[in-house]
Amino acid sequence: MTVMRDQVVKALAKLEVKGNEDGLIPAFGVLVNQLPSSFWNMFAERMMEAVPRERKGEMESALVNCAYECGYHTGWGIINSEEFKAVVMPMVTEGAKDVLRGAYAVFTAWGWAKSGIVQIREAERMVVRAVDYYEMDSGGSGNRAYMIRGVSSAFFELAYADAYPDGMDTYTCTQTLGVECGDKFGEFVVEPKS
Amino acid sequence: MLKVDFTFDDKTYRHAMNGHESVLHCHHYMSLTTKLAEDFADVGGVRILREVAEDSIRPLLDSYHQTHRVPTGDERLEVGREYYSVMGLGEMEISGDETGGQVKLHHSHVDEGWIKKWGKHDRFVNHFSCGFAAAVFAAAFDRPARSYLAKEKASIVIGDEMTVIAVTQA
Repeated sequence: MTVMRDQVVKALAKLEVKGNEDGLIPAFGVLVNQLPSSFWNMFAERMMEAVPRERKGEMESALVNCAYECGYHTGWGIINSEEFKAVVMPMVTEGAKDVLRGAYAVFTAWGWAKSGIVQIREAERMVVRAVDYYEMDSGGSGNRAYMIRGVSSAFFELAYADAYPDGMDTYTCTQTLGVECGDKFGEFVVEPKS
Repeated sequence: MLKVDFTFDDKTYRHAMNGHESVLHCHHYMSLTTKLAEDFADVGGVRILREVAEDSIRPLLDSYHQTHRVPTGDERLEVGREYYSVMGLGEMEISGDETGGQVKLHHSHVDEGWIKKWGKHDRFVNHFSCGFAAAVFAAAFDRPARSYLAKEKASIVIGDEMTVIAVTQA
């Protein structure tokens, strides 16, 4: 058996995610929030609009980095959480590859993207495709999936770079296709940083 | 009591809260987003964060008030307070009228998330909740966006017992 994404997604999506008596949602080792997806898209777009042309690249990197740092620490919390151990680990038979597949299933269950890994060359390269993701609705022109890029390189580092917390800054992710650009799916390629 | 219908679309795998698409994220992402806004203060990053919070929360409040026929300002402030907790943003106490009021946060995802990530800070960082508070007041009293100014007066992140936000007419 390997990790069955749809089975994991359905199991995790059933978990009720709602504030406790303090109005907080502690889960997966982090504090979770559930906000309108328009908040994240609108923020990214207005920040991109606010900077002059010569600083667009700087802003793009900053937006990707928010998700990257988040993905690295939260990803670690996810794969070491009780929820992950209960739902995903029983299906893991292929080591790091399967843990990575499981992390993407959680990624999907959180509503980030209906995504899956289509190619893994261990520690070298990963290709992820997403047929639906909230960032495709951002309204800007060109590839807009900053969050998926950041989280994808972080997850690959958790699987194949130096052990947490020393594996950062090892891989980078490029978006090669985007639904927001008219493609059938978004495609994300993770490779070592040159 | 706020009625919340959480749904998960089996086809797109997207979440929704009372019909509004939503997504789960964590305190790392919120803290880094807040810091990004501050790092780009020269292009209005903090203002943008507050306005985006106001503009993205407002539609949820307006549609709830309409769907459930919430008639009074006080009841509408209560809807905002409950939504804040349901979204995992913390525990809010809110009071006021159409001229403004006060928001107290006994717990705050933004402040406590920042502390969890980086420790205490020397200045206010809860720009998101200021935007949220502005949206709650504007929706409660049928005012357009930017009708209210929300400003932090105390904050958990700097060591105060609670975060206090004063809301005044713009």
